[in-house]
Amino acid sequence: MSDEQGTPQENPIEPIKNDIPAVEPLQTPPVTPPPFQQPPPFGQFGNGMGQQNLPNATAALVLGIIAIPACCFYGIFGLIFGIIAWVLGAGDVNKYKLNPAFYTESSYKNAKAGKICGMVATILSILTIVFFVLVIVGAITNPEMYDNFLKGMK
Amino acid sequence: MLTQQKSSVFDWLNRHFLSCPFKAHFGIDCPGCGLQRSVLALLKGNLPESFRFYPATIPLIILIIFTVIHLKVDFKFGAQVIKLVFTGIAVIILINYIYKIYNHLLIN
Repeated sequence: MSDEQGTPQENPIEPIKNDIPAVEPLQTPPVTPPPFQQPPPFGQFGNGMGQQNLPNATAALVLGIIAIPACCFYGIFGLIFGIIAWVLGAGDVNKYKLNPAFYTESSYKNAKAGKICGMVATILSILTIVFFVLVIVGAITNPEMYDNFLKGMK
Repeated sequence: MLTQQKSSVFDWLNRHFLSCPFKAHFGIDCPGCGLQRSVLALLKGNLPESFRFYPATIPLIILIIFTVIHLKVDFKFGAQVIKLVFTGIAVIILINYIYKIYNHLLIN
């Protein structure tokens, strides 16, 4: 500190002369500073505190699970929830693959699970809706057969 | 007193089910019909009854509880377990519905 305070008067002249010496310290230090300079980027983005959860992982998981009871109540809600969970989960999986070091692995697993739950719920809802459509079409085109079908089931 | 209150709550629930629009219009159960009756039976503590109304209820409730805990605690294989159980529940629902169709249980 005392040296720096003493030198400011000489500084206006020095920068021109110091250009050459200033390059050498940069070339030699790389042998020792890397341990100090490299770890921060890894510490920030790779290992610990800087990692984030994927933004939609939890939402995808929860929606994917809610989709099953929703599918059972009204059919169409299950389809909506399932597709939303699928899209959110797939988007987060892609995000993680683009930048794996930036997000936590557990949230990646959650996003993947949400995606698969969404897929399963979507398939179930589509099956349900197809069955509904078949029954409705059958009831409209062939009322007698539909009546017989119902009576037969009773 | 307590049992009376409980039964009145169950009666009230029983009278206020959300009715399935599909069943109301066409008289046929949808794949989710039975879920509310099943949950009510479970609340009464009647496990076999609950299973008979809707076999997927118990695993579904376990899955929901497990998911809530997993989101708090972050189990190592939690996501894997959720995926497997979820797929299992979907399969149970499908099998249950096909069973209902074949045994003419869709109309109650």
